[in-house]
Amino acid sequence: MELEEMKALWDTMSEKVEKQQIVTDQLIMEMTQQKYKNKFSKLLMYERLGAVVCIVAGLLLLFNIQKLDTWYLMACGIFTIGFLLVLPFVSLGAIRGMTKLKVSKYNFKETVVRFEKAKNKTLFIQRVSIVLSLILMFTSLPVFSKIFNDKDFFLQEHGIGFWIFVTAVGIGVLFFTRWAYGCYNRITSSAERILKEMDE
Amino acid sequence: MQQKEEFIKIIKANEGIIYKVTRAYTNDTDDQKDLYQEIVYQLWKSFETFKGLSKISTWMYRVALNTSILHLNKKKRRPDRVSDFELPQIVDDSSTYLEDQVSELYDQIKQLSIVERGIILLYLEGKSYNEIAAVTGFSTTNIGTRLGRIKQKLRTNIKNQ
Repeated sequence: MELEEMKALWDTMSEKVEKQQIVTDQLIMEMTQQKYKNKFSKLLMYERLGAVVCIVAGLLLLFNIQKLDTWYLMACGIFTIGFLLVLPFVSLGAIRGMTKLKVSKYNFKETVVRFEKAKNKTLFIQRVSIVLSLILMFTSLPVFSKIFNDKDFFLQEHGIGFWIFVTAVGIGVLFFTRWAYGCYNRITSSAERILKEMDE
Repeated sequence: MQQKEEFIKIIKANEGIIYKVTRAYTNDTDDQKDLYQEIVYQLWKSFETFKGLSKISTWMYRVALNTSILHLNKKKRRPDRVSDFELPQIVDDSSTYLEDQVSELYDQIKQLSIVERGIILLYLEGKSYNEIAAVTGFSTTNIGTRLGRIKQKLRTNIKNQ
């Protein structure tokens, strides 16, 4: 279909659409209600809830930090607490940057650029989170073991079952990380392609 | 109250714009309806600040296109829809194939990038280069260049089919 044919067909379609009523007054009013927006924000609510859990756990560890009596337990503790207290804010901030884009404030070009940049930032934070979560898995065990059981994880004897479990989890996490990286690369290259297109 | 009445009047007079934009940026009717109500919501949110600073259609296209871009990433977060509504049937007394032709037209539009889709939509709506530039933020010269590229792309797509 050539552009001229497309234009003629578009005009015919426009004529048909304009003759038909799509929404009633009542429906338009319903669509303007705030409750609709809140349903869209449900996902953000779960993310906030996760952040609260992290912060509570982080504060709990912070108040018991004096129980970590060796340098290596202290190092694990500082990383774990730092992760639990800082990352939720960084992550929520990035998501907020994506969801709070004002659609009427910017033109189409600006919106695309801002959105793709915000998306890239969020994806970068997610990628960093995955790597840090991997480390967290290993640093949180000794910290919780010391604070809540008063046992030094590194000096304890661990049975074969424990090492099988750790290896299995390690392999699972490795595969998950590879998959997540693949997804990340696909999305970012698509975002970069769009950004490049804007400059052409 | 008067503001709401005015808003309803504007939406009803221009609902074809929302229909055409939503169809270009979605792949099924359910998704189109979700985007439709999201655009109405965003239009209402910006209605007070609009205050006739630009043409109604320019404001509507800007909000509709920008919302569509953001919606592309929200597909998995499907909201509960307000009371259901029917999208128009594109039928013609003389030809039952009109809907098929329109579907084919949209299929071709959807092969373009998200930016090009916005530009071709405005072009097909009969907007001048200046109006397209006002909505999209590109210069008028750049719009001409991009439309040339879009034409070329459409021809190549047809040849490859």
